[in-house]
Amino acid sequence: MRRGQLNLISIALLIIGLIIGGVIGYLLAPRPAPPEEGKLQALMQENEELRAKVNELLQKLKPGEIKVTVWTIGPDPPSEYRLKNFFIAADMLNSWLKMLGANVTIKVEGEFYVRPVEWGEYKNKFYLAYKAGEAPDIYLTGHEDIGFLAENGYIIPLDDYLEEYWDVIYYDIFPTLWDAVKYKGKIWAVPQDTEARPMYFRKDVLRALGWSEEEINELPKKIQSGEFTLYDLLKLAQEAKDAGLVERGVLHRVKEGYDYFQFYLGFGGKLWNPETGKMVFVKSAWEKTLKWFYDAVYEYNVISPNQFSGDWDKDFHLPFTQGKALFLSGGTWHKGEWIQKGLLTEDEFYDNIGYALHPAGEPSMKPVTLSHPLVYTITGLAKDRGVADVAFLLITLVTDPHINSYHSVQSAHLAILRSQVSDTRYMQDQFLHDVAYMLDYTTFIPNHPKWGDYSRIVYNILRAVETGDLGPEEAYNTLLDEIQSTLGDAVEILP
Amino acid sequence: MRFSPKKFFVSNSFTRKLHKGYLYVFLLPSLGFIVVFFLIPVILTFLIGLTKMDYSFRWDWIGLGNYIYILRDKWAYKILGNTLFYVFTTLAFFNVGMALFISIATTHINDKIGSIFRSIWLLPRITPSTVYALLWLWAARGEANSLFNWLTSIFGLHPIDWKLTYPWLLVILVNGFVGTSFGMIIFTAALKSIPEDYIRAAKVDGASTLQIIRYVELPLIKWPLLFVTAYQTLSLLTSYEYILLVTDGGPGLYTTEVWALYSYHLAFAQYGGIVKFGYGAALATILVIIGLIMSVIYWKVFRFRELMVEPKIEV
Repeated sequence: MRRGQLNLISIALLIIGLIIGGVIGYLLAPRPAPPEEGKLQALMQENEELRAKVNELLQKLKPGEIKVTVWTIGPDPPSEYRLKNFFIAADMLNSWLKMLGANVTIKVEGEFYVRPVEWGEYKNKFYLAYKAGEAPDIYLTGHEDIGFLAENGYIIPLDDYLEEYWDVIYYDIFPTLWDAVKYKGKIWAVPQDTEARPMYFRKDVLRALGWSEEEINELPKKIQSGEFTLYDLLKLAQEAKDAGLVERGVLHRVKEGYDYFQFYLGFGGKLWNPETGKMVFVKSAWEKTLKWFYDAVYEYNVISPNQFSGDWDKDFHLPFTQGKALFLSGGTWHKGEWIQKGLLTEDEFYDNIGYALHPAGEPSMKPVTLSHPLVYTITGLAKDRGVADVAFLLITLVTDPHINSYHSVQSAHLAILRSQVSDTRYMQDQFLHDVAYMLDYTTFIPNHPKWGDYSRIVYNILRAVETGDLGPEEAYNTLLDEIQSTLGDAVEILP
Repeated sequence: MRFSPKKFFVSNSFTRKLHKGYLYVFLLPSLGFIVVFFLIPVILTFLIGLTKMDYSFRWDWIGLGNYIYILRDKWAYKILGNTLFYVFTTLAFFNVGMALFISIATTHINDKIGSIFRSIWLLPRITPSTVYALLWLWAARGEANSLFNWLTSIFGLHPIDWKLTYPWLLVILVNGFVGTSFGMIIFTAALKSIPEDYIRAAKVDGASTLQIIRYVELPLIKWPLLFVTAYQTLSLLTSYEYILLVTDGGPGLYTTEVWALYSYHLAFAQYGGIVKFGYGAALATILVIIGLIMSVIYWKVFRFRELMVEPKIEV
């Protein structure tokens, strides 16, 4: 299909979008007093003119197919709607095009990667495919990559599109999520989902420890108020383990990731300084965090020294879902994964599993969670191929509250739109409703090109602490040294 | 006068040159492979090592910056030590030691039974690496019913997590069981090609089996021994596949990280997708240099030229 023709289609689609948006907006808007006769006629006249313009454009189109490629990743399988929603959107578009008599179809092709493909490998695939000219038109990634992708021309800015389509749906996205996709004053992506990282706990184990239902239900509130701290968590886990109720006290992810930063945040740490744009290293918080991890393994014996090189199923999902561990530092999406994998039923989940924020490190500190919004970007290749407009239209359609809820409910991710909270599908999910408050306690991962280095260094040191390779003091000194020598000015060192 | 091709070719200087030219023509295909798959990649690796290239794929030249950084990288020294330990231990105990032992043992027993034993030792080689690594990981798990712990429990020992407690033992066993087969095949072939007369003569002289091995067989397979040692040293220097699958350089801080794995981690395996092609390439270049130096040493000191000239085990 020629580029001119694609542009033509894009213009037609933009106009269709505007009409649909206008109609939806009109239908949703509170009913004012009936317009005056003259105004109504003017509105109808305007509609007719637009229709005529669309028809004129459609007649110039030659039959054909516009292909848009999309790459997405779970890596948890329940997040499949990150891709599937594009097929739904393409079907919608195609039915509209058919209705209008346009002999053009939109075809979506894509990938949804799941484990064993992890984030690192997924990103590798993208960069290499991009250089080979085979990267997708729409690329789902973590918001923290925006800076790097934008700097190197991998993605295009979306400000012009957003301005044009703002009233269709984008006004509805939570404002904090827009902060996560801004870089150097421009918006480079559209939020796809977000999540919280709860500290899950086994209610049945607490019952066996003699806790009343009331005490169990109070635990999330005690954590929220800062009354129940990270060291209280260790003591409780130890108590359960000593009583022979569980084999493991606390579980955390078994591979590299960003979850560990929650413990640092719980001890008063900060990830970045929005004023300077630099990442932050709070000395006292890291010192306490490393000591906590060491104590968890060697003083309280509630975290396995080998947890970091464990297996996702054997050392993470199964011990918890089978009631052999008391606490699990996880993500909201894990609930979706357990249900889909058949490890728990909905009833078993609500009967035996509780969820709370990650506790504060000390009573004077605050509980935390961490969010890592995923975002849809449009690649520079989409622009070269002349399909960027259509790609944006598809992204606009999948950003619909109902369509996005297919994803958020199945995979247990949180709403990105205000109206999504009242969506029929979303509202029915008790868990999503329960954890919504956690976003008030969340921190986003820094949108910094060197964030990956910070994360890797922390992971290496924490792993060394848990395996006993480094004591807490030695680990702290090594961490500080590594951060300074590797990241230099990119990080602010605070006392 | 009858035409003598031999005389013609030897006497004619032009055709002698032509003959030499043919040799080069025959060498061309292999020369092409070396250029495309070794020389050009080495040059590219060296050039990338002079940049701070990442996923922007920009050639930002920084001269010897990466090499200076390696000198200042305190982990590089630990990793170099790890590499030497890994190479020489695996080589001594398995790739040469165990291979030699199996070859000698299986050639001194019934031939059919010997062949069966050797076939069993080939199994790790033909098992897909991920499956093979997974089997070892299961065997070494910390649960009381894992294979290792079940075996040690026979001696009254408590179950331990082998990967955590003895990571090097696991890494060497996993690599060694695969690496043994190469040497085993070469040594067995060499041992089997020793003329039977020598063994018989030694027996007539009253030599025991051990004496036959020590004074007849080992001296006669000296050259294959040197070849396997040289080849496997270079091979182990650049290998990291099984370490990646079994410990990923852990469990502690670079506990089992070797040079090639460090290069891979920096160049390709960052969770956040932040890669350091430049630094990784500089590390890889050092491996190439070490490999070349060792090749020259083997060539000169072990007189590999003589090995190439005539088969030493055929007298």
